[in-house]
Amino acid sequence: MRMTPLHPGFVAEVSGIDISVPLSGDEVAAIEDGMDRYAVLVFRDQPLTDEQQCTFSRSFGELEMTLIGQMMKPTERRLGPVEMGDISNLDAAGKMRARDDSRRMYALGNRLWHSDASFRATGAGYSLLSARVVPGYGGNTEFADMRAAYDALDDRTEAAVEDLVSEHSIAFSRDVLGFNDYGEGNEDKVRPVRHSLVRTHPVTGRKSLYLSAHIGGIVAWPVPEARAFVRDLTEHATQPQFVHAHQWRVNDLVMWDNRTTMHRARRYRDLQEVRDLRRTSIKGTRLTAEQVPAMAAE
Amino acid sequence: MNITPLTQNPAGNFAGDVTGIDLTQPLTGRQVAAIEAGMDRFAVLVFHDQHFNDDTQLAFSRNFGELEISSGGEMSKPEDRRLKLEMADISNLDRDNKMRAADDRVRLVALGNRLWHSDASFRAVPAKYSLLSARVVPGRGGNTEFADMRAAYDALDAATKAEIETLVTEHSNVYSREVIGFPKESYGADNQDKLRPVRQRLVRTHPVTGRKSLYLSAHIGTIVGWSVPEARAFIRDLTEHATQRAFVYAHVWRPWDLVIWDNRTTMHRARRYDDLHEVRDMRRSTIRGDSMTAPQQEAA
Repeated sequence: MRMTPLHPGFVAEVSGIDISVPLSGDEVAAIEDGMDRYAVLVFRDQPLTDEQQCTFSRSFGELEMTLIGQMMKPTERRLGPVEMGDISNLDAAGKMRARDDSRRMYALGNRLWHSDASFRATGAGYSLLSARVVPGYGGNTEFADMRAAYDALDDRTEAAVEDLVSEHSIAFSRDVLGFNDYGEGNEDKVRPVRHSLVRTHPVTGRKSLYLSAHIGGIVAWPVPEARAFVRDLTEHATQPQFVHAHQWRVNDLVMWDNRTTMHRARRYRDLQEVRDLRRTSIKGTRLTAEQVPAMAAE
Repeated sequence: MNITPLTQNPAGNFAGDVTGIDLTQPLTGRQVAAIEAGMDRFAVLVFHDQHFNDDTQLAFSRNFGELEISSGGEMSKPEDRRLKLEMADISNLDRDNKMRAADDRVRLVALGNRLWHSDASFRAVPAKYSLLSARVVPGRGGNTEFADMRAAYDALDAATKAEIETLVTEHSNVYSREVIGFPKESYGADNQDKLRPVRQRLVRTHPVTGRKSLYLSAHIGTIVGWSVPEARAFIRDLTEHATQRAFVYAHVWRPWDLVIWDNRTTMHRARRYDDLHEVRDMRRSTIRGDSMTAPQQEAA
Protein backbone atom coordinates (compact mmCIF):
# COMPACT_ATOMS: atom_id res chain seq x y z
CA MET A 1 0.00 0.00 0.00
CA ARG A 2 1.36 3.42 -1.01
CA MET A 3 0.13 6.93 -0.22
CA THR A 4 0.87 9.88 -2.49
CA PRO A 5 -0.03 13.27 -0.98
CA LEU A 6 -1.91 15.63 -3.29
CA HIS A 7 -1.14 18.69 -1.12
CA PRO A 8 1.48 19.09 1.62
CA GLY A 9 -0.07 17.17 4.54
CA PHE A 10 -3.59 17.12 3.09
CA VAL A 11 -5.33 14.48 0.90
CA ALA A 12 -3.42 11.43 -0.31
CA GLU A 13 -4.12 8.94 -3.07
CA VAL A 14 -3.80 5.33 -1.93
CA SER A 15 -2.67 2.58 -4.28
CA GLY A 16 -1.72 -1.08 -3.97
CA ILE A 17 -4.66 -2.29 -1.91
CA ASP A 18 -8.00 -3.99 -2.63
CA ILE A 19 -10.57 -2.78 -0.11
CA SER A 20 -13.36 -5.10 -1.29
CA VAL A 21 -11.83 -8.04 0.63
CA PRO A 22 -11.29 -8.28 4.41
CA LEU A 23 -8.24 -6.33 5.58
CA SER A 24 -5.55 -7.34 8.04
CA GLY A 25 -5.13 -5.42 11.31
CA ASP A 26 -1.90 -3.93 9.92
CA GLU A 27 -3.65 -2.65 6.82
CA VAL A 28 -6.43 -1.05 8.89
CA ALA A 29 -3.84 0.58 11.15
CA ALA A 30 -1.94 1.90 8.11
CA ILE A 31 -5.12 3.47 6.71
CA GLU A 32 -5.89 5.03 10.09
CA ASP A 33 -2.36 6.45 10.22
CA GLY A 34 -2.90 7.90 6.75
CA MET A 35 -6.18 9.46 7.87
CA ASP A 36 -4.50 11.05 10.90
CA ARG A 37 -1.88 12.50 8.62
CA TYR A 38 -3.80 13.49 5.48
CA ALA A 39 -7.45 13.76 6.76
CA VAL A 40 -8.73 12.65 3.31
CA LEU A 41 -7.76 9.46 1.44
CA VAL A 42 -8.67 8.67 -2.17
CA PHE A 43 -8.84 5.04 -3.39
CA ARG A 44 -9.22 4.64 -7.18
CA ASP A 45 -10.73 1.67 -9.03
CA GLN A 46 -12.47 0.02 -6.08
CA PRO A 47 -15.71 -1.51 -7.38
CA LEU A 48 -17.80 -2.18 -4.25
CA THR A 49 -21.21 -3.61 -3.46
CA ASP A 50 -23.15 -2.04 -0.60
CA GLU A 51 -22.26 -5.03 1.59
CA GLN A 52 -18.53 -4.75 0.78
CA GLN A 53 -18.59 -1.03 1.51
CA CYS A 54 -20.28 -1.68 4.88
CA THR A 55 -17.75 -4.38 5.73
CA PHE A 56 -14.77 -2.18 4.84
CA SER A 57 -16.29 0.73 6.79
CA ARG A 58 -16.81 -1.39 9.92
CA SER A 59 -13.04 -1.80 10.13
CA PHE A 60 -13.00 1.74 11.54
CA GLY A 61 -15.87 1.61 14.03
CA GLU A 62 -19.59 1.33 14.40
CA LEU A 63 -21.73 2.52 11.47
CA GLU A 64 -24.06 5.42 11.88
CA MET A 65 -27.66 5.46 10.64
CA THR A 66 -28.23 8.31 8.20
CA LEU A 67 -30.55 11.03 9.45
CA ILE A 68 -32.61 11.07 6.28
CA GLY A 69 -32.88 7.27 6.48
CA GLN A 70 -34.27 7.66 9.97
CA MET A 71 -36.73 10.31 8.82
CA MET A 72 -38.03 8.50 5.73
CA LYS A 73 -40.57 5.72 5.51
CA PRO A 74 -38.97 2.37 4.48
CA THR A 75 -41.01 2.37 1.23
CA GLU A 76 -39.36 5.65 0.14
CA ARG A 77 -35.87 4.22 0.45
CA ARG A 78 -33.90 3.10 -2.60
CA LEU A 79 -31.07 1.35 -0.77
CA GLY A 80 -31.39 -1.59 1.60
CA PRO A 81 -29.37 -0.92 4.75
CA VAL A 82 -30.33 2.19 6.78
CA GLU A 83 -26.59 2.60 7.34
CA MET A 84 -26.14 3.41 3.63
CA GLY A 85 -26.55 7.12 2.86
CA ASP A 86 -28.16 7.62 -0.54
CA ILE A 87 -26.15 10.45 -2.11
CA SER A 88 -27.90 10.38 -5.47
CA ASN A 89 -30.57 12.14 -7.49
CA LEU A 90 -32.64 8.94 -7.76
CA ASP A 91 -35.95 7.98 -6.16
CA ALA A 92 -36.97 4.56 -4.78
CA ALA A 93 -37.78 3.40 -8.32
CA GLY A 94 -34.34 4.46 -9.61
CA LYS A 95 -35.72 7.45 -11.58
CA MET A 96 -34.21 10.93 -11.50
CA ARG A 97 -36.04 13.18 -9.05
CA ALA A 98 -38.22 15.99 -10.40
CA ARG A 99 -37.22 19.63 -10.00
CA ASP A 100 -39.61 20.32 -7.08
CA ASP A 101 -39.05 16.97 -5.28
CA SER A 102 -38.78 17.66 -1.54
CA ARG A 103 -35.96 15.12 -1.12
CA ARG A 104 -34.00 16.95 -3.82
CA MET A 105 -34.54 20.26 -1.99
CA TYR A 106 -33.26 18.69 1.22
CA ALA A 107 -30.15 17.37 -0.57
CA LEU A 108 -29.25 20.87 -1.81
CA GLY A 109 -28.05 21.50 1.75
CA ASN A 110 -25.01 19.36 0.84
CA ARG A 111 -23.81 22.26 -1.29
CA LEU A 112 -23.05 24.21 1.88
CA TRP A 113 -19.72 23.54 3.64
CA HIS A 114 -20.41 21.10 6.47
CA SER A 115 -19.09 18.31 8.65
CA ASP A 116 -21.26 15.18 8.56
CA ALA A 117 -23.63 14.62 11.48
CA SER A 118 -22.35 17.64 13.39
CA PHE A 119 -26.04 17.93 14.38
CA ARG A 120 -25.49 14.85 16.59
CA ALA A 121 -24.01 15.25 20.05
CA THR A 122 -21.06 13.00 19.13
CA GLY A 123 -20.69 14.15 15.51
CA ALA A 124 -19.32 11.62 13.01
CA GLY A 125 -15.86 10.08 12.74
CA TYR A 126 -14.99 9.08 9.17
CA SER A 127 -17.31 9.21 6.19
CA LEU A 128 -16.72 6.92 3.20
CA LEU A 129 -18.20 7.81 -0.18
CA SER A 130 -18.21 5.37 -3.08
CA ALA A 131 -18.98 6.51 -6.64
CA ARG A 132 -21.18 4.13 -8.64
CA VAL A 133 -22.38 6.50 -11.40
CA VAL A 134 -20.93 9.97 -12.02
CA PRO A 135 -22.21 12.81 -14.23
CA GLY A 136 -20.26 13.96 -17.29
CA TYR A 137 -19.89 17.48 -15.95
CA GLY A 138 -19.78 19.02 -12.45
CA GLY A 139 -20.65 17.30 -9.17
CA ASN A 140 -17.18 17.52 -7.61
CA THR A 141 -16.81 17.14 -3.87
CA GLU A 142 -14.57 19.73 -2.21
CA PHE A 143 -12.71 19.22 1.06
CA ALA A 144 -11.29 21.90 3.36
CA ASP A 145 -8.54 21.29 5.93
CA MET A 146 -9.75 22.58 9.32
CA ARG A 147 -6.32 21.96 10.92
CA ALA A 148 -4.58 24.28 8.45
CA ALA A 149 -7.46 26.76 8.80
CA TYR A 150 -6.99 26.77 12.57
CA ASP A 151 -3.21 27.15 12.30
CA ALA A 152 -3.65 30.16 10.01
CA LEU A 153 -5.87 32.15 12.42
CA ASP A 154 -4.27 35.27 13.86
CA ASP A 155 -3.53 35.19 17.61
CA ARG A 156 -6.47 37.43 18.45
CA THR A 157 -9.00 35.21 16.68
CA GLU A 158 -7.37 32.06 18.06
CA ALA A 159 -7.92 33.43 21.57
CA ALA A 160 -11.48 34.56 20.71
CA VAL A 161 -12.59 31.10 19.53
CA GLU A 162 -10.73 28.96 22.09
CA ASP A 163 -13.59 28.40 24.55
CA LEU A 164 -16.60 29.04 22.34
CA VAL A 165 -19.39 26.48 22.08
CA SER A 166 -21.68 26.43 19.05
CA GLU A 167 -25.17 25.01 18.51
CA HIS A 168 -25.78 22.69 15.56
CA SER A 169 -29.02 21.47 14.01
CA ILE A 170 -29.94 20.14 10.57
CA ALA A 171 -32.72 22.77 10.68
CA PHE A 172 -30.20 25.64 10.54
CA SER A 173 -28.48 24.54 7.33
CA ARG A 174 -31.84 23.93 5.66
CA ASP A 175 -33.37 27.20 6.93
CA VAL A 176 -30.65 29.12 5.13
CA LEU A 177 -31.89 27.63 1.87
CA GLY A 178 -35.54 28.16 2.80
CA PHE A 179 -36.32 24.45 3.40
CA ASN A 180 -38.20 23.25 6.47
CA ASP A 181 -40.33 20.32 5.32
CA TYR A 182 -39.22 17.47 7.60
CA GLY A 183 -42.53 15.66 7.96
CA GLU A 184 -44.32 14.86 11.18
CA GLY A 185 -42.67 13.00 14.02
CA ASN A 186 -39.18 14.31 13.22
CA GLU A 187 -39.13 17.36 15.49
CA ASP A 188 -36.81 15.66 17.99
CA LYS A 189 -34.20 15.09 15.26
CA VAL A 190 -33.76 18.80 14.61
CA ARG A 191 -33.16 19.77 18.27
CA PRO A 192 -29.78 21.60 18.51
CA VAL A 193 -26.69 19.96 20.04
CA ARG A 194 -23.56 21.68 21.34
CA HIS A 195 -19.98 21.44 20.08
CA SER A 196 -16.71 23.14 20.88
CA LEU A 197 -15.68 25.47 18.06
CA VAL A 198 -12.09 24.31 18.49
CA ARG A 199 -11.47 20.58 18.82
CA THR A 200 -8.34 18.56 19.40
CA HIS A 201 -7.70 15.37 17.44
CA PRO A 202 -7.56 12.42 19.89
CA VAL A 203 -4.51 10.82 18.20
CA THR A 204 -2.42 13.64 16.73
CA GLY A 205 -3.29 16.27 19.36
CA ARG A 206 -3.66 18.83 16.57
CA LYS A 207 -6.28 21.51 16.97
CA SER A 208 -8.82 22.24 14.28
CA LEU A 209 -11.83 24.47 13.71
CA TYR A 210 -15.09 22.58 14.08
CA LEU A 211 -17.30 24.43 11.63
CA SER A 212 -20.41 23.33 9.77
CA ALA A 213 -23.42 24.80 7.94
CA HIS A 214 -25.45 23.20 10.73
CA ILE A 215 -24.27 25.89 13.19
CA GLY A 216 -27.11 28.27 14.10
CA GLY A 217 -25.68 30.03 17.13
CA ILE A 218 -22.89 30.40 19.66
CA VAL A 219 -23.81 29.86 23.30
CA ALA A 220 -24.38 33.23 25.06
CA TRP A 221 -24.03 35.30 21.86
CA PRO A 222 -26.87 37.15 20.11
CA VAL A 223 -27.84 34.98 17.11
CA PRO A 224 -27.08 37.54 14.35
CA GLU A 225 -23.63 38.22 15.79
CA ALA A 226 -22.90 34.51 16.06
CA ARG A 227 -23.98 33.83 12.49
CA ALA A 228 -22.01 36.76 11.06
CA PHE A 229 -18.91 35.55 12.94
CA VAL A 230 -19.31 31.91 11.89
CA ARG A 231 -19.69 33.07 8.28
CA ASP A 232 -16.41 34.97 8.55
CA LEU A 233 -14.67 31.94 10.06
CA THR A 234 -16.11 29.67 7.35
CA GLU A 235 -14.89 32.00 4.64
CA HIS A 236 -11.44 32.00 6.20
CA ALA A 237 -11.43 28.20 6.54
CA THR A 238 -12.46 27.49 2.97
CA GLN A 239 -9.96 29.70 1.14
CA PRO A 240 -8.44 28.06 -1.92
CA GLN A 241 -5.16 27.22 -0.14
CA PHE A 242 -7.03 24.95 2.32
CA VAL A 243 -9.27 23.27 -0.28
CA HIS A 244 -8.98 20.16 -2.45
CA ALA A 245 -11.53 19.50 -5.20
CA HIS A 246 -12.14 15.82 -5.89
CA GLN A 247 -13.24 15.07 -9.43
CA TRP A 248 -15.12 11.77 -9.31
CA ARG A 249 -14.45 8.70 -11.44
CA VAL A 250 -16.61 5.61 -11.25
CA ASN A 251 -15.42 3.27 -8.47
CA ASP A 252 -13.58 5.94 -6.52
CA LEU A 253 -13.86 5.61 -2.77
CA VAL A 254 -13.00 8.71 -0.80
CA MET A 255 -12.85 8.70 2.98
CA TRP A 256 -12.53 11.79 5.15
CA ASP A 257 -12.28 12.61 8.82
CA ASN A 258 -15.23 14.78 9.86
CA ARG A 259 -13.32 15.85 12.96
CA THR A 260 -10.69 17.71 10.90
CA THR A 261 -12.37 18.61 7.59
CA MET A 262 -15.44 20.18 6.04
CA HIS A 263 -16.76 19.24 2.62
CA ARG A 264 -19.43 20.21 0.14
CA ALA A 265 -20.91 19.01 -3.15
CA ARG A 266 -20.80 21.19 -6.23
CA ARG A 267 -23.59 21.70 -8.73
CA TYR A 268 -24.24 19.36 -11.66
CA ARG A 269 -27.11 18.92 -14.11
CA ASP A 270 -29.09 16.68 -11.76
CA LEU A 271 -32.31 16.84 -13.79
CA GLN A 272 -30.52 15.40 -16.84
CA GLU A 273 -27.64 13.27 -15.52
CA VAL A 274 -27.42 10.53 -12.90
CA ARG A 275 -25.00 10.81 -9.98
CA ASP A 276 -25.15 7.78 -7.70
CA LEU A 277 -22.84 7.86 -4.68
CA ARG A 278 -23.19 5.75 -1.53
CA ARG A 279 -22.04 6.95 1.83
CA THR A 280 -21.25 5.14 5.04
CA SER A 281 -20.28 7.02 8.21
CA ILE A 282 -18.54 5.94 11.37
CA LYS A 283 -20.13 7.03 14.62
CA GLY A 284 -18.31 9.64 16.64
CA THR A 285 -17.24 8.31 20.00
CA ARG A 286 -17.18 11.36 22.21
CA LEU A 287 -18.88 14.67 22.94
CA THR A 288 -16.92 17.81 22.16
CA ALA A 289 -18.96 19.88 24.63
CA GLU A 290 -21.35 19.40 27.50
CA GLN A 291 -24.97 19.17 26.35
CA VAL A 292 -27.82 21.00 28.05
CA PRO A 293 -30.05 18.50 29.89
CA ALA A 294 -32.96 18.64 27.41
CA MET A 295 -30.54 17.74 24.61
CA ALA A 296 -28.76 14.92 26.36
CA ALA A 297 -31.52 12.52 25.26
CA GLU A 298 -30.05 12.59 21.74
CA MET B 1 -7.73 66.02 -10.43
CA ASN B 2 -5.74 62.83 -10.84
CA ILE B 3 -6.86 59.15 -10.51
CA THR B 4 -4.45 56.30 -9.68
CA PRO B 5 -5.77 52.72 -10.07
CA LEU B 6 -5.84 50.75 -6.80
CA THR B 7 -6.29 47.25 -8.21
CA GLN B 8 -6.13 45.49 -11.53
CA ASN B 9 -8.06 42.40 -12.58
CA PRO B 10 -8.35 40.60 -15.91
CA ALA B 11 -11.27 42.87 -16.86
CA GLY B 12 -9.37 46.11 -16.20
CA ASN B 13 -8.86 48.56 -13.34
CA PHE B 14 -11.06 48.50 -10.25
CA ALA B 15 -11.13 51.30 -7.64
CA GLY B 16 -9.19 54.54 -8.10
CA ASP B 17 -7.46 56.88 -5.67
CA VAL B 18 -8.32 60.50 -6.48
CA THR B 19 -6.12 63.49 -5.58
CA GLY B 20 -6.12 67.20 -6.34
CA ILE B 21 -9.72 68.14 -5.57
CA ASP B 22 -11.60 69.59 -2.57
CA LEU B 23 -15.10 68.11 -2.53
CA THR B 24 -16.36 70.33 0.29
CA GLN B 25 -16.38 73.32 -2.10
CA PRO B 26 -18.93 73.80 -4.93
CA LEU B 27 -17.75 71.95 -8.06
CA THR B 28 -17.81 73.01 -11.71
CA GLY B 29 -19.79 70.99 -14.26
CA ARG B 30 -16.50 69.83 -15.70
CA GLN B 31 -15.31 68.50 -12.33
CA VAL B 32 -18.57 66.62 -11.80
CA ALA B 33 -18.29 65.12 -15.28
CA ALA B 34 -14.70 64.03 -14.56
CA ILE B 35 -15.81 62.25 -11.37
CA GLU B 36 -18.64 60.53 -13.23
CA ALA B 37 -16.25 59.42 -15.95
CA GLY B 38 -13.96 58.06 -13.21
CA MET B 39 -16.88 56.17 -11.67
CA ASP B 40 -17.77 54.61 -15.02
CA ARG B 41 -14.21 53.40 -15.37
CA PHE B 42 -13.22 52.44 -11.80
CA ALA B 43 -16.67 51.82 -10.15
CA VAL B 44 -15.15 52.87 -6.78
CA LEU B 45 -13.35 56.17 -6.10
CA VAL B 46 -11.43 56.99 -2.93
CA PHE B 47 -10.84 60.62 -1.82
CA HIS B 48 -8.68 61.39 1.23
CA ASP B 49 -8.76 64.40 3.60
CA GLN B 50 -12.26 65.62 2.70
CA HIS B 51 -13.46 67.43 5.82
CA PHE B 52 -17.22 67.17 5.31
CA ASN B 53 -20.03 68.04 7.66
CA ASP B 54 -23.47 66.58 6.91
CA ASP B 55 -24.54 69.64 4.94
CA THR B 56 -21.48 69.79 2.69
CA GLN B 57 -21.67 66.01 2.11
CA LEU B 58 -25.31 66.26 1.04
CA ALA B 59 -24.55 69.26 -1.18
CA PHE B 60 -21.70 67.40 -2.88
CA SER B 61 -23.85 64.26 -3.27
CA ARG B 62 -26.64 66.18 -5.06
CA ASN B 63 -24.26 66.75 -7.99
CA PHE B 64 -24.96 63.17 -9.02
CA GLY B 65 -28.75 63.02 -8.71
CA GLU B 66 -31.59 62.92 -6.27
CA LEU B 67 -30.88 61.74 -2.72
CA GLU B 68 -32.47 58.59 -1.40
CA ILE B 69 -33.99 58.35 2.08
CA SER B 70 -32.24 55.59 4.03
CA SER B 71 -34.33 52.52 4.86
CA GLY B 72 -33.06 52.57 8.43
CA GLY B 73 -34.26 56.17 8.69
CA GLU B 74 -37.64 55.36 7.16
CA MET B 75 -38.23 52.53 9.56
CA SER B 76 -37.14 54.26 12.77
CA LYS B 77 -39.10 56.79 14.80
CA PRO B 78 -37.83 60.42 14.48
CA GLU B 79 -36.89 60.50 18.17
CA ASP B 80 -34.56 57.48 17.67
CA ARG B 81 -32.60 59.07 14.82
CA ARG B 82 -29.19 60.66 15.30
CA LEU B 83 -28.95 62.12 11.77
CA LYS B 84 -31.15 63.64 9.03
CA LEU B 85 -33.36 61.31 6.97
CA GLU B 86 -31.15 61.56 3.86
CA MET B 87 -28.09 60.60 5.87
CA ALA B 88 -27.76 56.90 6.65
CA ASP B 89 -26.19 56.41 10.06
CA ILE B 90 -23.41 53.84 9.58
CA SER B 91 -22.17 53.93 13.15
CA ASN B 92 -22.35 52.03 16.41
CA LEU B 93 -23.81 55.05 18.24
CA ASP B 94 -27.27 55.74 19.55
CA ARG B 95 -29.00 59.11 19.54
CA ASP B 96 -27.05 60.22 22.61
CA ASN B 97 -23.77 59.30 20.88
CA LYS B 98 -23.24 56.32 23.21
CA MET B 99 -22.01 52.99 21.90
CA ARG B 100 -24.84 50.50 21.44
CA ALA B 101 -25.09 47.50 23.78
CA ALA B 102 -24.46 43.92 22.60
CA ASP B 103 -28.15 43.06 22.35
CA ASP B 104 -29.30 46.41 20.87
CA ARG B 105 -31.80 45.73 18.09
CA VAL B 106 -30.30 48.36 15.76
CA ARG B 107 -26.85 46.85 16.25
CA LEU B 108 -28.13 43.39 15.32
CA VAL B 109 -29.87 44.66 12.16
CA ALA B 110 -26.68 46.47 11.17
CA LEU B 111 -24.79 43.15 11.24
CA GLY B 112 -26.49 42.46 7.93
CA ASN B 113 -23.98 44.90 6.42
CA ARG B 114 -21.33 42.24 6.91
CA LEU B 115 -22.93 40.25 4.07
CA TRP B 116 -22.01 41.16 0.48
CA HIS B 117 -24.74 43.41 -0.87
CA SER B 118 -25.66 46.23 -3.21
CA ASP B 119 -27.35 49.19 -1.47
CA ALA B 120 -31.13 49.42 -1.79
CA SER B 121 -31.37 46.48 -4.17
CA PHE B 122 -34.62 45.85 -2.25
CA ARG B 123 -36.17 48.91 -3.95
CA ALA B 124 -37.84 48.59 -7.37
CA VAL B 125 -35.65 51.48 -8.54
CA PRO B 126 -32.41 50.64 -6.76
CA ALA B 127 -29.56 52.95 -5.79
CA LYS B 128 -26.98 54.42 -8.17
CA TYR B 129 -24.02 55.77 -6.16
CA SER B 130 -23.40 55.56 -2.44
CA LEU B 131 -21.05 58.06 -0.77
CA LEU B 132 -19.55 57.11 2.57
CA SER B 133 -17.66 59.63 4.68
CA ALA B 134 -15.51 58.51 7.62
CA ARG B 135 -15.71 60.79 10.65
CA VAL B 136 -14.36 58.46 13.37
CA VAL B 137 -12.64 55.14 12.62
CA PRO B 138 -11.68 52.29 14.99
CA GLY B 139 -8.04 51.43 15.64
CA ARG B 140 -8.42 47.95 14.19
CA GLY B 141 -10.80 46.24 11.76
CA GLY B 142 -13.91 47.77 10.20
CA ASN B 143 -12.62 47.78 6.60
CA THR B 144 -15.12 48.04 3.79
CA GLU B 145 -14.58 45.59 0.92
CA PHE B 146 -15.75 46.14 -2.63
CA ALA B 147 -16.19 43.52 -5.36
CA ASP B 148 -16.21 44.24 -9.10
CA MET B 149 -19.39 42.76 -10.62
CA ARG B 150 -18.23 43.61 -14.16
CA ALA B 151 -15.09 41.52 -13.82
CA ALA B 152 -17.13 38.80 -12.08
CA TYR B 153 -19.52 38.69 -15.01
CA ASP B 154 -16.75 38.66 -17.61
CA ALA B 155 -15.09 35.70 -15.85
CA LEU B 156 -18.17 33.44 -16.00
CA ASP B 157 -17.99 30.52 -18.40
CA ALA B 158 -20.18 30.72 -21.52
CA ALA B 159 -22.70 28.15 -20.24
CA THR B 160 -23.33 30.11 -17.02
CA LYS B 161 -23.60 33.39 -18.92
CA ALA B 162 -26.25 31.87 -21.16
CA GLU B 163 -28.08 30.34 -18.19
CA ILE B 164 -28.37 33.60 -16.23
CA GLU B 165 -28.90 36.06 -19.10
CA THR B 166 -32.66 36.45 -18.61
CA LEU B 167 -33.04 35.39 -14.95
CA VAL B 168 -34.97 37.68 -12.60
CA THR B 169 -34.38 37.64 -8.83
CA GLU B 170 -36.48 38.77 -5.87
CA HIS B 171 -34.89 41.10 -3.30
CA SER B 172 -36.05 42.09 0.18
CA ASN B 173 -34.32 43.35 3.30
CA VAL B 174 -36.01 40.42 5.04
CA TYR B 175 -33.85 37.82 3.29
CA SER B 176 -30.49 39.25 4.26
CA ARG B 177 -31.61 39.58 7.87
CA GLU B 178 -33.23 36.14 8.01
CA VAL B 179 -29.95 34.52 7.07
CA ILE B 180 -28.35 35.90 10.21
CA GLY B 181 -31.37 35.02 12.32
CA PHE B 182 -33.13 38.36 12.55
CA PRO B 183 -36.85 37.66 12.07
CA LYS B 184 -39.24 39.63 9.87
CA GLU B 185 -41.59 40.30 12.79
CA SER B 186 -38.90 42.36 14.56
CA TYR B 187 -39.28 45.15 11.98
CA GLY B 188 -42.64 46.06 13.53
CA ALA B 189 -46.13 45.96 12.04
CA ASP B 190 -45.80 49.45 10.47
CA ASN B 191 -42.87 48.44 8.32
CA GLN B 192 -44.04 45.18 6.75
CA ASP B 193 -44.93 46.94 3.46
CA LYS B 194 -41.30 48.06 3.10
CA LEU B 195 -40.21 44.44 3.15
CA ARG B 196 -42.23 43.27 0.16
CA PRO B 197 -39.88 41.71 -2.41
CA VAL B 198 -39.00 43.57 -5.61
CA ARG B 199 -37.69 42.08 -8.85
CA GLN B 200 -34.28 42.71 -10.41
CA ARG B 201 -32.45 41.34 -13.43
CA LEU B 202 -29.52 39.10 -12.47
CA VAL B 203 -27.48 40.55 -15.34
CA ARG B 204 -27.62 44.28 -15.86
CA THR B 205 -26.05 46.56 -18.41
CA HIS B 206 -24.44 49.87 -17.44
CA PRO B 207 -26.33 52.75 -19.13
CA VAL B 208 -23.13 54.63 -20.08
CA THR B 209 -20.43 52.05 -20.68
CA GLY B 210 -22.73 49.30 -21.99
CA ARG B 211 -20.79 46.79 -19.89
CA LYS B 212 -22.64 43.87 -18.37
CA SER B 213 -22.37 43.04 -14.70
CA LEU B 214 -23.79 40.56 -12.20
CA TYR B 215 -26.47 42.13 -10.05
CA LEU B 216 -26.08 40.18 -6.82
CA SER B 217 -26.95 41.08 -3.24
CA ALA B 218 -27.55 39.43 0.13
CA HIS B 219 -31.10 40.75 -0.24
CA ILE B 220 -31.86 38.10 -2.91
CA GLY B 221 -34.30 35.47 -1.60
CA THR B 222 -35.14 33.60 -4.78
CA ILE B 223 -35.16 33.49 -8.58
CA VAL B 224 -38.50 33.84 -10.39
CA GLY B 225 -39.66 30.41 -11.59
CA TRP B 226 -37.16 28.51 -9.42
CA SER B 227 -37.69 26.70 -6.13
CA VAL B 228 -36.31 28.68 -3.20
CA PRO B 229 -33.61 26.18 -2.08
CA GLU B 230 -32.29 25.75 -5.62
CA ALA B 231 -32.25 29.50 -6.18
CA ARG B 232 -30.44 30.20 -2.92
CA ALA B 233 -27.82 27.50 -3.49
CA PHE B 234 -27.15 28.91 -6.97
CA ILE B 235 -26.98 32.53 -5.75
CA ARG B 236 -24.49 31.44 -3.08
CA ASP B 237 -22.30 29.86 -5.74
CA LEU B 238 -22.47 32.98 -7.92
CA THR B 239 -21.70 35.21 -4.94
CA GLU B 240 -18.69 33.11 -4.02
CA HIS B 241 -17.45 33.36 -7.59
CA ALA B 242 -18.06 37.11 -7.71
CA THR B 243 -16.27 37.89 -4.45
CA GLN B 244 -13.08 35.92 -4.97
CA ARG B 245 -9.89 37.81 -4.05
CA ALA B 246 -9.05 38.81 -7.61
CA PHE B 247 -12.20 40.95 -7.87
CA VAL B 248 -12.00 42.59 -4.43
CA TYR B 249 -10.58 45.89 -3.15
CA ALA B 250 -10.39 46.25 0.66
CA HIS B 251 -10.54 49.83 1.88
CA VAL B 252 -8.72 50.60 5.13
CA TRP B 253 -10.39 53.73 6.50
CA ARG B 254 -8.71 56.91 7.66
CA PRO B 255 -10.72 59.78 9.17
CA TRP B 256 -12.08 62.12 6.44
CA ASP B 257 -11.90 59.53 3.67
CA LEU B 258 -14.81 59.72 1.28
CA VAL B 259 -15.49 56.64 -0.85
CA ILE B 260 -18.02 56.63 -3.69
CA TRP B 261 -19.20 53.39 -5.28
CA ASP B 262 -21.59 52.49 -8.04
CA ASN B 263 -24.18 50.04 -6.71
CA ARG B 264 -25.03 49.01 -10.27
CA THR B 265 -21.60 47.48 -10.84
CA THR B 266 -20.28 46.54 -7.37
CA MET B 267 -21.12 44.76 -4.14
CA HIS B 268 -19.63 45.72 -0.80
CA ARG B 269 -19.56 44.61 2.83
CA ALA B 270 -18.30 45.82 6.19
CA ARG B 271 -15.78 43.78 8.17
CA ARG B 272 -15.85 43.11 11.88
CA TYR B 273 -14.39 45.47 14.48
CA ASP B 274 -14.64 45.75 18.24
CA ASP B 275 -17.87 47.75 18.14
CA LEU B 276 -18.60 47.40 21.86
CA HIS B 277 -15.38 49.23 22.73
CA GLU B 278 -14.42 51.44 19.79
CA VAL B 279 -16.40 54.10 17.93
CA ARG B 280 -16.86 53.91 14.16
CA ASP B 281 -18.87 56.82 12.83
CA MET B 282 -19.51 56.90 9.09
CA ARG B 283 -22.20 58.82 7.22
CA ARG B 284 -23.70 57.61 3.99
CA SER B 285 -25.61 59.53 1.38
CA THR B 286 -27.16 57.60 -1.48
CA ILE B 287 -28.15 58.65 -5.00
CA ARG B 288 -31.39 57.28 -6.37
CA GLY B 289 -31.21 55.23 -9.56
CA ASP B 290 -33.26 56.28 -12.57
CA SER B 291 -34.85 53.04 -13.74
CA MET B 292 -36.07 49.58 -12.79
CA THR B 293 -34.07 46.58 -13.99
CA ALA B 294 -37.14 44.32 -14.37
CA PRO B 295 -40.94 44.69 -14.53
CA GLN B 296 -42.52 44.44 -11.07
CA GLN B 297 -45.46 42.26 -10.08
CA GLU B 298 -48.79 44.09 -9.73
CA ALA B 299 -48.92 43.68 -5.95
CA ALA B 300 -45.37 44.96 -5.49
